[in-house]
Amino acid sequence: MAGVHTLKGAIGRRDPNSARGHFRTIVQALLFGSISAMLFWLVAAYGNALRDPRYLDGWVLAGGMGVQLYFHVATATGRLTPKAAARWRSLHIFFGLLLVPVFLLHSNFSLPDTNFEWALWIAFVLICLSGLFGIYISWSLKSRHMFGDDIVLDRIPEERAKLAREVQAIAARIDQAPAASALPPPPHDAWIRELYASRLIGFFSKRRNAFSHLIGSKRPLKQLTDEIDHLTGFVDKRGQEKLRAIRRLVIEKDRLDAANVALGLSRAWLLVHVPVTYSIVILAVVHILVVYSFSSGAY
Amino acid sequence: MRHSVRLRKARTEPTRAQGTPASVRNRLAAVVALATLVFIGSVFLLAGSKSFMMPGPLTSAHGSIADCKTCHTKSGDGKLSWLHGLVAGDPVADSKACLSCHKMPDTALNPHSASVDILKQSTARLTKTASNLVVPQSVRAQSIAFPVDGMIGRGLFCATCHQEHQGTNFELNKITSEQCRSCHAVKFDSFDGQHPEFESFPFRRRTRIIYDHAGHFGKHFPEVAKKEPGMRIPQTCASCHDSRDDNGVMSVVAFDKTCASCHSDQISGKERATGPKGIAFLALPGIDLASIKTKKVAIGEWPEDSEAPLTPFLKMMISRNKKGRRLIAAIEPLDLQDLSNASDDQVKAVSELAWEIKSLLYAMITGKTQEAFGDLGIGAKLNADVVGSLTASLPRDVLIAAQQKWLPNLSAEMTNGPGVALNLESNQSTVSAEPATPEEDQDASTEEAEAASIDEPVDYGPAPASTAPAGSANTSQKTAEEGRNPQACIASIFGQCLLLKSDGDTADNAQAEEREAPQNLQGAFRVGLGDVRAPPKPKAQSGGITIAQASPKGGKGPPSAVGKRNATNQNDDLLFPSDAELRALNAHRKKAGRGARDGRRNPAAAPLAPGPETSPGNRQANAAQSASIASDIDPENWAEHGGWYQQDHAIFYRPTGHKDQFIFNWLTLTGPKATLGAANPAAEVFDALTGKDAQGSCAKCHSVDAVKGRGRTINFPPLSVAMKQGRFTRFVHEPHFNVVGKRGCMTCHNLEKDRPYLKGYEQGDPLKFQTEFSPVKKETCKTCHAEGRARQDCLLCHKYHLPNVTAPVTETTLRSP
Repeated sequence: MAGVHTLKGAIGRRDPNSARGHFRTIVQALLFGSISAMLFWLVAAYGNALRDPRYLDGWVLAGGMGVQLYFHVATATGRLTPKAAARWRSLHIFFGLLLVPVFLLHSNFSLPDTNFEWALWIAFVLICLSGLFGIYISWSLKSRHMFGDDIVLDRIPEERAKLAREVQAIAARIDQAPAASALPPPPHDAWIRELYASRLIGFFSKRRNAFSHLIGSKRPLKQLTDEIDHLTGFVDKRGQEKLRAIRRLVIEKDRLDAANVALGLSRAWLLVHVPVTYSIVILAVVHILVVYSFSSGAY
Repeated sequence: MRHSVRLRKARTEPTRAQGTPASVRNRLAAVVALATLVFIGSVFLLAGSKSFMMPGPLTSAHGSIADCKTCHTKSGDGKLSWLHGLVAGDPVADSKACLSCHKMPDTALNPHSASVDILKQSTARLTKTASNLVVPQSVRAQSIAFPVDGMIGRGLFCATCHQEHQGTNFELNKITSEQCRSCHAVKFDSFDGQHPEFESFPFRRRTRIIYDHAGHFGKHFPEVAKKEPGMRIPQTCASCHDSRDDNGVMSVVAFDKTCASCHSDQISGKERATGPKGIAFLALPGIDLASIKTKKVAIGEWPEDSEAPLTPFLKMMISRNKKGRRLIAAIEPLDLQDLSNASDDQVKAVSELAWEIKSLLYAMITGKTQEAFGDLGIGAKLNADVVGSLTASLPRDVLIAAQQKWLPNLSAEMTNGPGVALNLESNQSTVSAEPATPEEDQDASTEEAEAASIDEPVDYGPAPASTAPAGSANTSQKTAEEGRNPQACIASIFGQCLLLKSDGDTADNAQAEEREAPQNLQGAFRVGLGDVRAPPKPKAQSGGITIAQASPKGGKGPPSAVGKRNATNQNDDLLFPSDAELRALNAHRKKAGRGARDGRRNPAAAPLAPGPETSPGNRQANAAQSASIASDIDPENWAEHGGWYQQDHAIFYRPTGHKDQFIFNWLTLTGPKATLGAANPAAEVFDALTGKDAQGSCAKCHSVDAVKGRGRTINFPPLSVAMKQGRFTRFVHEPHFNVVGKRGCMTCHNLEKDRPYLKGYEQGDPLKFQTEFSPVKKETCKTCHAEGRARQDCLLCHKYHLPNVTAPVTETTLRSP
């Protein structure tokens, strides 16, 4: 139960729909717009000053990529404290977004002409799209208040096992109530154990209904809670209390599953984002060598 | 300590993360990075060409360039040799590669490809003009953020403005106004904004053609229209100006279509009221022979009656070498026709001058004009074509005729050299220092005879005095007579009489002969002829053509032989002495102690030397003189359509019309040496041809520019786009014709009649001028070229490269199979 409370508490933090969240978004948007506009002006002025603007925006792009890469290296090597990592993550996202207009400037708002340029272009676009996807996933999770940042994907199996044990304990407990009549009492506990055996063991054993969580459907959860609610009408008061406890645990388990799917996705995009980043770093170095080898002095 | 902990943490955490999603991701990243590296390396090492590295296609003009190193000079041929480009080398090597095709001067990499001086002048001018302009803040910020001073200082690369690999249809020569503004000291926002006012556009100098619009339209045209109603008078600007052939300028329509109707006769000299209508090219200057004789300086044969001055052309020819220049300098202060006060040295110089002139004439007659001209003092040897142009293909016959008239014994003189006295019996004066010895005389005669037999062209004239003095005298007398009495001819060509007058004129001839007999000659004409009797009057022949009577033996020839002679073989026997006369002459010679020598030299000459006239060759040569057609037209008028003629003691040239090559070539040749106010022969020639009353009247319309240190230039070629090279501004008239409205050309070019336009041509500096038309105002252009209307970017009116960028002609060698 403590875990449930912890989870609930975590879900309400840093709500993007809050007033502070809106303010932060507006400030970030303004900052993004201002810096982008300044970059555009700088590049134009650089070109007007008899220089090739692709050298300026190219180096801005390379510098931005270097900063982004440092975040990855720092995270991977554990150099950052959680608080610093959180700040860096925000900066990482902001710089990442700023690099989009820089890239558009560098590519002159046009598609590449040659294979080598296509390789660079595709790599950057993959990194950019995967990053944007990650931002969307993160924002989506926060905006739906499902869970907060303190849910760690790696701890979900542990939490799930804990819930399973609690359910098992509730379902297995036999409460001997005094007989109110000479008739034998109805087997309320047996009915609950049967429910546990037939539906709940499988539900709590692993992540369930992943597709439904991916598309945001609550139908599997509703089916299960409906069954519990239906049984509630046939059991005595103590049985009803047991079923209410089981119902809460089912909901929590469903939310863990949802968090598992969401956080899994939030990690999966990194399987594109990070390796392609390694690739683009190599391509960018070669690109710089080629560009300066054939520069003919114009930079 | 903290650092070590952090490091330990950094080292341990990845190990702890084994099997986690992060470790999977990191392993995947490493694999992808390695794969990328291998792939890139494979491509660079295995690719057939380097085109995969291209950032984009070349423009279509450069599309045929397949090898990177054509432009990227350091890229080399190897798989990884392109990395040489990273090594510092000649920073402009690639730009030089551009210039191997796009030909430009050495200043190609300067801003505007202009010289430093031009840039300094332009900057100073613009800075002064636009000192009050407000520089836009954005431009100021750009200048601070990205200054260009350093870039300009080291020289601009071609790629600074022309950035390749931007696609086949990319405009490589496109430069934005902002780019122009980045360098310019004068920075402004736009043309319709703070662009400086025009200073005196389009006038940077006075017009090359001197044309007084106000005078023509206000005075001359109305007068002509009144006098000759049928004559075509220009009505509109387009009558004379046209931009179709060369849309960069409003060129003037050809002379033949515009000015010729009124001004042709000025060029040919028909309208000339005073002075010769031709240009005196060669002349035997009048020399004070009496003073020469007094000083006992050898001058040889020279006409006494010449009053011709030494022509500038002759001066230039003589001063072609150091000796000649010294000679010209020595005689410059002298009046050649009055040498009474001249020093011995000066008289000697005059003598040398006379011999130099004879040498020149002799050389030109003998086909050695090119050698005689040398380099004319311009520093480069003239080739045959140039010499041909400078002499306007002066016919040999004109020279011969002149020589026969002026210096009939030139051949002998040139063979024997100065100092040899020739016994002449004509109006030609022979001034010798001392008589030649018999031996010398014999040698001279032998050499002369050899020269005459070997050098056939030289043997065109009368007999040498040594072999046939009487004949020589006779011929000389005859030519002198012809020269003085041109009316005796029925027809003549180049001043040479072809046919004499008919019977009716014989009496006149006889009278003329009598008048010209030695004892009747006056003054200098009688020099050396004092003891010679007048020859008897010759018999007139029928048909107006006088046929020579002399036989090779000196007597009268058989009638049949005479009858067989055609016109070209006729001899001037009217003047040939009879046997008795010859005997008398011989007796006279013997008295003078020379008869014996003559007899020894040439037995045939004594006592009746037949004279070389009787030989077939000389008969032919003299035919034109002996059988002339009389004409009342004097040589000057005869040559009214241009060409050469001989008159008095000069050979003249009359311009053939507009674009006369003779005048053009002499002006072109002498111009660079003819500094304004200079006193050298080149300047004299230039002045003679461009003076106010110069024949041809070239300088009446074609202005003469005096360029400091570079002589003078007469502006013959019409204004063209090529002449506008080196200007920053360009303007094409045609697109503007439909927007000028009713005022037409006057919308921009307003004629201001009171301006002293012609005053600007009274001096040589083309940059000091007054225009007839008011300059174009910026406001006029701004009516269309403004924001939201017509273009107003810099390149619309200004061009970047001052010198034209040209592509070389492909060097193709035709190989034999």
